Amino acid sequence: MTEPVEDAERSWTTIVWNDPINLMSYVTYVFETYFGYPKPKAHKLMLDVHHRGKAVVAKGGREEMERDVSAMHSYGLWATLQRA
Amino acid sequence: MPFFRKDKPSVIAAFTRGPEHTVLVDFRAPEAGLLADLLRDLLALLDEDSLSAPAAADAPSRNTDPLAAELGLEDLGDDLGLGDLGSTTPVSQPQDPALARLFPDAYPDDPEAAAEFRRYTQADLGAERRRRASVAVASLARIHGGGRLSLSEKEALAWLGALNDMRLVLGTRLEITDDDQEPGQEFGPDDPRSAYVPVYYYLGYLQETLVEALSP
Repeated sequence: MTEPVEDAERSWTTIVWNDPINLMSYVTYVFETYFGYPKPKAHKLMLDVHHRGKAVVAKGGREEMERDVSAMHSYGLWATLQRA
Repeated sequence: MPFFRKDKPSVIAAFTRGPEHTVLVDFRAPEAGLLADLLRDLLALLDEDSLSAPAAADAPSRNTDPLAAELGLEDLGDDLGLGDLGSTTPVSQPQDPALARLFPDAYPDDPEAAAEFRRYTQADLGAERRRRASVAVASLARIHGGGRLSLSEKEALAWLGALNDMRLVLGTRLEITDDDQEPGQEFGPDDPRSAYVPVYYYLGYLQETLVEALSP
Protein backbone atom coordinates (compact mmCIF):
# COMPACT_ATOMS: atom_id res chain seq x y z
CA MET A 1 0.00 0.00 0.00
CA THR A 2 2.91 2.33 0.63
CA GLU A 3 4.73 1.45 -2.58
CA PRO A 4 5.52 4.38 -4.83
CA VAL A 5 3.59 4.54 -8.07
CA GLU A 6 6.40 3.08 -10.16
CA ASP A 7 6.58 0.05 -7.88
CA ALA A 8 2.92 -0.65 -8.23
CA GLU A 9 1.45 -4.04 -8.85
CA ARG A 10 3.07 -6.02 -11.69
CA SER A 11 5.65 -3.38 -12.60
CA TRP A 12 8.57 -5.69 -11.73
CA THR A 13 9.51 -9.07 -13.10
CA THR A 14 11.42 -12.10 -11.86
CA ILE A 15 13.67 -13.49 -14.56
CA VAL A 16 15.26 -16.93 -14.51
CA TRP A 17 18.37 -17.38 -16.66
CA ASN A 18 19.57 -20.51 -18.36
CA ASP A 19 22.45 -22.30 -16.73
CA PRO A 20 24.18 -25.53 -17.74
CA ILE A 21 24.05 -27.21 -14.32
CA ASN A 22 20.46 -27.22 -13.11
CA LEU A 23 18.46 -30.23 -14.33
CA MET A 24 15.51 -29.52 -16.60
CA SER A 25 13.27 -31.71 -14.44
CA TYR A 26 14.37 -29.82 -11.34
CA VAL A 27 13.68 -26.39 -12.87
CA THR A 28 10.20 -27.57 -13.89
CA TYR A 29 9.68 -28.93 -10.38
CA VAL A 30 10.64 -25.56 -8.85
CA PHE A 31 8.23 -23.62 -11.10
CA GLU A 32 5.50 -26.11 -10.29
CA THR A 33 5.94 -26.26 -6.54
CA TYR A 34 7.05 -22.72 -5.69
CA PHE A 35 4.79 -20.74 -8.04
CA GLY A 36 2.04 -23.35 -8.11
CA TYR A 37 2.00 -23.33 -11.91
CA PRO A 38 0.31 -26.29 -13.60
CA LYS A 39 2.83 -28.77 -15.00
CA PRO A 40 2.37 -27.75 -18.67
CA LYS A 41 3.03 -24.08 -17.85
CA ALA A 42 6.00 -24.95 -15.63
CA HIS A 43 7.42 -27.17 -18.37
CA LYS A 44 6.95 -24.48 -21.04
CA LEU A 45 8.67 -21.85 -18.86
CA MET A 46 11.57 -24.24 -18.29
CA LEU A 47 11.89 -24.75 -22.06
CA ASP A 48 11.78 -20.97 -22.59
CA VAL A 49 14.65 -20.58 -20.13
CA HIS A 50 16.54 -23.40 -21.81
CA HIS A 51 16.08 -22.34 -25.44
CA ARG A 52 15.86 -18.56 -25.17
CA GLY A 53 18.37 -18.14 -22.39
CA LYS A 54 15.90 -16.61 -19.96
CA ALA A 55 12.23 -16.26 -19.15
CA VAL A 56 10.00 -14.01 -17.09
CA VAL A 57 8.56 -16.36 -14.50
CA ALA A 58 6.60 -13.88 -12.37
CA LYS A 59 5.35 -10.29 -12.37
CA GLY A 60 4.41 -8.16 -9.41
CA GLY A 61 5.41 -5.45 -7.00
CA ARG A 62 9.08 -5.00 -6.14
CA GLU A 63 8.92 -6.57 -2.69
CA GLU A 64 7.04 -9.56 -3.99
CA MET A 65 9.57 -10.04 -6.80
CA GLU A 66 12.44 -9.76 -4.32
CA ARG A 67 10.86 -12.58 -2.34
CA ASP A 68 10.56 -14.67 -5.50
CA VAL A 69 14.15 -13.99 -6.57
CA SER A 70 15.36 -14.84 -3.08
CA ALA A 71 13.39 -18.10 -3.21
CA MET A 72 14.82 -18.92 -6.65
CA HIS A 73 18.35 -18.35 -5.27
CA SER A 74 17.55 -20.70 -2.42
CA TYR A 75 16.53 -23.34 -4.97
CA GLY A 76 19.82 -22.67 -6.77
CA LEU A 77 18.26 -21.06 -9.84
CA TRP A 78 19.98 -18.06 -11.37
CA ALA A 79 17.34 -15.34 -11.00
CA THR A 80 17.29 -11.57 -11.21
CA LEU A 81 14.62 -8.91 -11.02
CA GLN A 82 14.03 -5.93 -13.21
CA ARG A 83 11.34 -3.47 -14.12
CA ALA A 84 8.69 -4.80 -16.45
CA MET B 1 33.30 -57.42 -7.56
CA PRO B 2 29.67 -57.26 -6.45
CA PHE B 3 29.09 -54.33 -8.78
CA PHE B 4 29.29 -56.67 -11.76
CA ARG B 5 27.64 -59.81 -10.44
CA LYS B 6 25.25 -61.24 -12.96
CA ASP B 7 22.79 -62.65 -10.48
CA LYS B 8 22.43 -59.35 -8.69
CA PRO B 9 22.41 -56.55 -11.21
CA SER B 10 24.06 -53.57 -9.64
CA VAL B 11 21.90 -50.51 -9.40
CA ILE B 12 23.27 -47.40 -7.81
CA ALA B 13 21.05 -45.74 -5.29
CA ALA B 14 17.84 -44.11 -6.43
CA PHE B 15 15.29 -42.19 -4.40
CA THR B 16 11.80 -43.68 -4.57
CA ARG B 17 8.43 -42.80 -3.08
CA GLY B 18 7.70 -44.51 0.21
CA PRO B 19 4.47 -44.69 2.21
CA GLU B 20 2.91 -41.54 3.69
CA HIS B 21 4.98 -38.97 1.82
CA THR B 22 8.25 -40.57 2.81
CA VAL B 23 11.11 -41.03 0.39
CA LEU B 24 13.27 -44.14 0.43
CA VAL B 25 16.82 -44.68 -0.71
CA ASP B 26 19.30 -47.54 -0.37
CA PHE B 27 22.86 -46.30 -0.11
CA ARG B 28 25.84 -48.62 -0.31
CA ALA B 29 28.57 -47.80 2.19
CA PRO B 30 30.85 -46.13 -0.42
CA GLU B 31 28.00 -43.96 -1.70
CA ALA B 32 27.01 -42.91 1.81
CA GLY B 33 30.66 -42.13 2.57
CA LEU B 34 31.13 -40.10 -0.60
CA LEU B 35 27.93 -38.12 0.01
CA ALA B 36 28.85 -37.46 3.65
CA ASP B 37 32.26 -36.16 2.53
CA LEU B 38 30.75 -33.92 -0.15
CA LEU B 39 28.16 -32.58 2.29
CA ARG B 40 30.87 -31.75 4.81
CA ASP B 41 32.84 -29.99 2.06
CA LEU B 42 29.73 -27.99 1.24
CA LEU B 43 29.25 -27.07 4.91
CA ALA B 44 32.89 -25.95 5.12
CA LEU B 45 32.48 -23.82 2.01
CA LEU B 46 29.39 -22.24 3.55
CA ASP B 47 31.10 -21.74 6.88
CA GLU B 48 29.31 -19.00 8.76
CA ASP B 49 32.50 -17.16 9.72
CA SER B 50 33.67 -17.14 6.14
CA LEU B 51 30.33 -15.98 4.84
CA SER B 52 30.05 -13.17 7.33
CA ALA B 53 33.73 -12.23 7.60
CA PRO B 54 34.31 -8.52 7.17
CA ALA B 55 36.02 -7.92 3.84
CA ALA B 56 38.51 -5.50 5.37
CA ALA B 57 39.24 -7.28 8.65
CA ASP B 58 42.67 -6.76 10.21
CA ALA B 59 43.36 -10.47 10.24
CA PRO B 60 42.74 -12.04 6.86
CA SER B 61 40.36 -14.96 7.24
CA ARG B 62 41.27 -18.07 5.34
CA ASN B 63 38.46 -19.97 3.81
CA THR B 64 39.08 -23.66 4.13
CA ASP B 65 37.05 -25.45 1.55
CA PRO B 66 38.25 -29.06 1.66
CA LEU B 67 37.01 -29.77 -1.83
CA ALA B 68 38.77 -26.70 -3.17
CA ALA B 69 41.89 -27.67 -1.24
CA GLU B 70 41.72 -31.18 -2.59
CA LEU B 71 41.32 -29.86 -6.08
CA GLY B 72 44.22 -27.46 -5.63
CA LEU B 73 41.92 -24.49 -5.81
CA GLU B 74 42.33 -23.21 -2.28
CA ASP B 75 43.41 -19.78 -3.47
CA LEU B 76 39.96 -19.19 -4.89
CA GLY B 77 38.36 -19.09 -1.51
CA ASP B 78 40.82 -16.86 0.26
CA ASP B 79 38.89 -13.67 0.11
CA LEU B 80 35.17 -14.03 -0.10
CA GLY B 81 34.68 -10.29 -0.31
CA LEU B 82 31.33 -10.58 1.34
CA GLY B 83 31.70 -7.62 3.61
CA ASP B 84 30.14 -7.44 7.01
CA LEU B 85 26.63 -8.78 6.80
CA GLY B 86 25.66 -7.26 10.10
CA SER B 87 26.62 -3.73 9.23
CA THR B 88 25.47 -1.23 6.67
CA THR B 89 28.62 -1.75 4.61
CA PRO B 90 27.70 -2.71 1.07
CA VAL B 91 28.07 -6.42 0.46
CA SER B 92 29.68 -7.49 -2.77
CA GLN B 93 29.45 -10.70 -4.74
CA PRO B 94 31.67 -13.48 -3.35
CA GLN B 95 34.92 -13.85 -5.25
CA ASP B 96 34.93 -17.64 -5.18
CA PRO B 97 33.02 -18.55 -8.36
CA ALA B 98 31.18 -21.39 -6.61
CA LEU B 99 29.92 -19.08 -3.86
CA ALA B 100 29.10 -16.45 -6.47
CA ARG B 101 26.94 -19.08 -8.18
CA LEU B 102 25.16 -19.93 -4.90
CA PHE B 103 24.67 -16.24 -4.07
CA PRO B 104 24.10 -14.47 -7.40
CA ASP B 105 23.37 -10.77 -7.93
CA ALA B 106 19.65 -10.04 -7.86
CA TYR B 107 20.13 -6.72 -9.69
CA PRO B 108 22.84 -7.27 -12.33
CA ASP B 109 22.72 -3.66 -13.57
CA ASP B 110 22.34 -1.91 -10.25
CA PRO B 111 25.26 -2.56 -7.87
CA GLU B 112 23.69 -0.52 -5.08
CA ALA B 113 20.39 -2.42 -5.16
CA ALA B 114 22.31 -5.69 -5.53
CA ALA B 115 24.36 -4.94 -2.40
CA GLU B 116 21.23 -3.94 -0.52
CA PHE B 117 19.50 -7.18 -1.51
CA ARG B 118 22.55 -9.17 -0.46
CA ARG B 119 22.70 -7.44 2.90
CA TYR B 120 19.16 -8.51 3.70
CA THR B 121 19.15 -12.00 2.23
CA GLN B 122 22.64 -13.50 2.12
CA ALA B 123 23.04 -14.47 5.77
CA ASP B 124 19.64 -16.19 5.82
CA LEU B 125 20.31 -17.94 2.55
CA GLY B 126 23.65 -19.20 3.85
CA ALA B 127 21.97 -20.47 7.01
CA GLU B 128 19.29 -22.24 4.98
CA ARG B 129 21.94 -23.93 2.81
CA ARG B 130 23.83 -25.07 5.92
CA ARG B 131 20.59 -26.35 7.46
CA ARG B 132 19.78 -28.48 4.42
CA ALA B 133 23.27 -29.97 4.26
CA SER B 134 23.19 -30.65 8.00
CA VAL B 135 19.84 -32.44 7.73
CA ALA B 136 21.29 -34.66 4.99
CA VAL B 137 24.42 -35.40 7.06
CA ALA B 138 22.30 -36.24 10.10
CA SER B 139 20.09 -38.60 8.10
CA LEU B 140 23.15 -40.41 6.73
CA ALA B 141 24.37 -40.92 10.29
CA ARG B 142 21.25 -43.04 10.92
CA ILE B 143 22.42 -45.77 8.56
CA HIS B 144 26.03 -45.88 9.75
CA GLY B 145 27.72 -46.19 6.41
CA GLY B 146 25.10 -47.87 4.29
CA GLY B 147 21.60 -49.29 4.13
CA ARG B 148 18.03 -48.20 3.66
CA LEU B 149 17.16 -44.67 4.56
CA SER B 150 13.58 -43.57 5.08
CA LEU B 151 13.29 -39.80 4.80
CA SER B 152 10.41 -37.63 5.91
CA GLU B 153 9.16 -35.22 3.25
CA LYS B 154 10.96 -32.40 5.06
CA GLU B 155 14.23 -34.32 5.06
CA ALA B 156 13.79 -35.23 1.40
CA LEU B 157 13.33 -31.55 0.53
CA ALA B 158 16.51 -30.73 2.44
CA TRP B 159 18.30 -33.43 0.44
CA LEU B 160 16.97 -31.94 -2.80
CA GLY B 161 18.42 -28.54 -1.94
CA ALA B 162 21.71 -29.96 -0.71
CA LEU B 163 22.15 -32.15 -3.79
CA ASN B 164 21.52 -29.16 -6.01
CA ASP B 165 23.99 -27.03 -4.05
CA MET B 166 26.64 -29.76 -4.33
CA ARG B 167 26.07 -29.95 -8.08
CA LEU B 168 26.29 -26.16 -8.47
CA VAL B 169 29.59 -26.08 -6.57
CA LEU B 170 31.03 -29.07 -8.39
CA GLY B 171 29.78 -27.89 -11.79
CA THR B 172 31.39 -24.50 -11.20
CA ARG B 173 34.67 -26.13 -10.14
CA LEU B 174 34.52 -28.29 -13.29
CA GLU B 175 34.02 -25.09 -15.32
CA ILE B 176 30.79 -26.23 -16.90
CA THR B 177 29.59 -23.25 -18.91
CA ASP B 178 27.63 -24.72 -21.84
CA ASP B 179 24.56 -26.93 -21.97
CA ASP B 180 26.17 -29.44 -24.31
CA GLN B 181 29.60 -29.45 -22.72
CA GLU B 182 31.13 -32.70 -21.55
CA PRO B 183 32.81 -31.72 -18.31
CA GLY B 184 36.51 -32.43 -17.96
CA GLN B 185 37.26 -32.76 -21.70
CA GLU B 186 39.65 -29.84 -21.63
CA PHE B 187 41.45 -30.87 -18.42
CA GLY B 188 45.05 -32.02 -18.63
CA PRO B 189 45.87 -35.65 -17.79
CA ASP B 190 47.02 -34.77 -14.29
CA ASP B 191 44.16 -32.44 -13.42
CA PRO B 192 42.78 -33.66 -10.07
CA ARG B 193 39.35 -32.37 -11.00
CA SER B 194 38.92 -35.19 -13.53
CA ALA B 195 38.14 -37.54 -10.67
CA TYR B 196 35.08 -35.44 -9.86
CA VAL B 197 33.47 -35.69 -13.29
CA PRO B 198 31.79 -39.05 -12.56
CA VAL B 199 30.80 -37.70 -9.15
CA TYR B 200 29.07 -34.81 -10.89
CA TYR B 201 27.11 -37.21 -13.10
CA TYR B 202 26.30 -39.41 -10.12
CA LEU B 203 24.85 -36.48 -8.18
CA GLY B 204 22.79 -35.48 -11.22
CA TYR B 205 21.38 -38.98 -11.48
CA LEU B 206 20.55 -39.04 -7.77
CA GLN B 207 18.87 -35.65 -7.95
CA GLU B 208 16.85 -36.70 -10.98
CA THR B 209 15.40 -39.64 -9.05
CA LEU B 210 14.65 -37.42 -6.07
CA VAL B 211 12.83 -34.85 -8.22
CA GLU B 212 10.72 -37.68 -9.58
CA ALA B 213 10.01 -39.07 -6.13
CA LEU B 214 8.91 -35.63 -4.89
CA SER B 215 7.04 -34.42 -7.97
CA PRO B 216 3.37 -33.68 -7.42
